[in-house]
Amino acid sequence: MKILGISAHYHDSAAALVVDGLPVAAVQEERLSRRKNDAAFPLQAIEWCLEAGGIEAEDLDAVVFYERPMLKFDRILTTALRAWPQGRGAFTHAMKNSLGEKIWVRGLIQAHLGVSRKKILFTEHHQSHAAAAFLTAPTTEAAILTTDGVGEWATLTVGRGRRTPGGATAIELLREVRWPHSLGMLYSTFTAYLGFAVNEGEYKVMGLASYGAPRFAEQVRKTIRRTADGAFSLDLGYFEFHTTVARSYSQTFVDAFGPPRAAWDPIDLTTEAGQRYADIAASVQLVLEEVLIDLTAALHRETGLSDLCLGGGVALNGVANARILRESGFERLFVPPAPGDAGCALGAALYADRVHFGNPDRAFPDHPFWGPSLEAGELARIADEDGLAVETLGEAELIARTAADLAAGRILGWMDGASELGPRALGHRSILAAPHSAQTRDRLNRDIKYREEFRPFAPVVPVEQAGAYFELPPGGAGLARFMSGVFPVKPQWRSALAAVTHVDGTARLQALPREMAPRLYDLLVAYGTLTGVPVLLNTSFNLAGEPIVNRVVEGYSTFRRCGIDVLVAGSERVAKRVWTPAEAAGMEIEA
Amino acid sequence: MLSALSAVHWLIWRDPRRRAENLLRFAEVEADGGRDLVRAAEVTRDPVLRKLFLKHALDEQRHADLFRSRGLALIRTLPRDTASGIAANWLTPGERGLDDLRVEEEGDAALLAFLHLSEASAAREFANYIAVLGADPPTRTVFENVLHDETFHMTYTRAQLDRVAPKGARRRIWMARLRRFWKAYLRLASGLAGLIGAIVLTLQYFIVLPLFAFHARRAAEKEAAGWSAVAPERNGRLDRQY
Ligand SMILES: [Fe+2]
Ligand SMILES: [Fe+2]
Ligand SMILES: [Fe+2]
Repeated sequence: MKILGISAHYHDSAAALVVDGLPVAAVQEERLSRRKNDAAFPLQAIEWCLEAGGIEAEDLDAVVFYERPMLKFDRILTTALRAWPQGRGAFTHAMKNSLGEKIWVRGLIQAHLGVSRKKILFTEHHQSHAAAAFLTAPTTEAAILTTDGVGEWATLTVGRGRRTPGGATAIELLREVRWPHSLGMLYSTFTAYLGFAVNEGEYKVMGLASYGAPRFAEQVRKTIRRTADGAFSLDLGYFEFHTTVARSYSQTFVDAFGPPRAAWDPIDLTTEAGQRYADIAASVQLVLEEVLIDLTAALHRETGLSDLCLGGGVALNGVANARILRESGFERLFVPPAPGDAGCALGAALYADRVHFGNPDRAFPDHPFWGPSLEAGELARIADEDGLAVETLGEAELIARTAADLAAGRILGWMDGASELGPRALGHRSILAAPHSAQTRDRLNRDIKYREEFRPFAPVVPVEQAGAYFELPPGGAGLARFMSGVFPVKPQWRSALAAVTHVDGTARLQALPREMAPRLYDLLVAYGTLTGVPVLLNTSFNLAGEPIVNRVVEGYSTFRRCGIDVLVAGSERVAKRVWTPAEAAGMEIEA
Repeated sequence: MLSALSAVHWLIWRDPRRRAENLLRFAEVEADGGRDLVRAAEVTRDPVLRKLFLKHALDEQRHADLFRSRGLALIRTLPRDTASGIAANWLTPGERGLDDLRVEEEGDAALLAFLHLSEASAAREFANYIAVLGADPPTRTVFENVLHDETFHMTYTRAQLDRVAPKGARRRIWMARLRRFWKAYLRLASGLAGLIGAIVLTLQYFIVLPLFAFHARRAAEKEAAGWSAVAPERNGRLDRQY
């Protein structure tokens, strides 16, 4: 059975093709259109998925959209009406915004793909999140918690999933918290208030939190109250996201927390205002964690299960995830590489396959690499035209040379195989560097990523060695295979891993099993042999404001525009300049 | 006419807050244009153009940085909470990037013609701004720096157009000019449509919807806070949009 899943129209659209129960292709539209967070109907992604699967649209058995557009419109309209007469702006915005293609999704899919009406299906937004979390995880029975800004009406759901290898699958959502009460909206309201872009800057809030003390926690708890049944509700007096599109927090909010930060205002932690921003970030982070711990601990007591699958954009919060793993009572925590809406394209297709059509369960390959692959010879062709020498190397030599490059302090662009689904570079589209010195970190921030320095870089380490450098609780390595948890760096390693250790001594590491990305794994081992520490700094291969590179030509143009020294694509290697052996020998390993 | 226009420019650039906001907005536009040029470099099969587009992209990125740092410097000299003036964005377009051009769908010649015109009009605009910025030498210097590059961009795109389309260069430029007019018309028309739409919808909101609003509110008040059960039949039904 061939099923196409689609997510679109909100943030970061994507398509995924599932054939006989397993994905053959999945990609975000932005990776192909090269427009960051492209939310348009993902025509290019769909076209690529069909091409990769070698099928035509008419061969599809079903096309599944990741949410119910009419129900979503109902929520948007009702919200504007409830806010009458203040909701005028929200109303006109919603009508203008939704009355186009956004609510006529069935017609849109029919028009673009020419499939019959009967074949077009709709999952609920949080069913898609739940399926993306549960059906991709190496577990057969688990509790499920999904939490994001909002889907149709639900903002958070809990449920459970059960699958029998080769047999039936059940995913049951039991309860939900409904709009406007939303953990995602709470966090993004603070994100906006702190001057970061919503849906984009949330992880900056998380990074900033480490510089602060939660002295506003009591105040934050007033904005989100616990209900007697163990859920929560927002005190809407502090918010405006439900009445206007202009601003998400109210004057009451500003009276409570002080003046908001303007986006262009740099955060200077030596000033009172800068420290206040950090303290507010620490406070909302703490309260988010408290609510999540209470919800997951209750879910653990209720279900008695040992596994938990987390879905929805809030599951990108690695600090909260690590606390859930330590404190909720669940033994294992699974977060997919794309817990946000992009992953819903895959979730929707899998949900339809297993639950709607009742197809037998199949074990899901445990990796995120469902995107377009590299074209061999491409780097040689382009670089050659530019007069740069490209070497095509055998595997062993490539790994050895690359490890030596890294040990010599060079910054590496690394492209390998198919690209990742989701916001994180997990080994196939990465910028890699030695993790030892703060200077490397500063150089990356300044010459390559052009970004604020309070955002930490992440390390990658072979899973077998992760425990030597990082303090991982039971289940921590599993959570860290997709970089989904933030854990302490062992104190004795903090200075040797200065470039990847955050100010609070933690790191958002990837603990890499060899079978997930064998070439990167071998590179880590080779680097470890050279330097004694098999850890590398791993950051996504893109410049500020651009999507992660996808094809070789994009990696190459990024390499040419920033301070990356060496680019490796598959077995091809190109360097900005040639080092003489004497020079190379003279370069110290920064340790 | 010209003096009337420079009077308008003078008015717009006189207020330091608006000047700062314009600079920050220009920074965004330049960065956007830079990304479009990166895409152009990635798409073209012509190695000479690839090199030039990459250099051009780096220039636009540098312009973005120049505008941003000058805008920030200006903002820091202002008292914190002064209200911003009426934003007259359309009066100071600056550089328009590639004007929503889908770089992938253009041939090299069409793209060069389009770029040539954009750069020429940006150069004209910036020269106008320089003329009225006498009272703010640092901002003026930024524009002079940028103008220098824009002139180069204008020249190289024309020269390359002659190289890749030696016969049809003039025709290409005319076609690009027509498209620019058409895009400007579309912007105006959709702006106008948006305005009319907003008026009609606002009237609807206040005249037709109060009764519904009353009901929606009553319903909201009855809604219990906390958990809502998910009806079992909702699990697994995929045939509905609502
Ligand atoms: Fe979502
Ligand atoms: Fe420019
Ligand atoms: Fe330019």
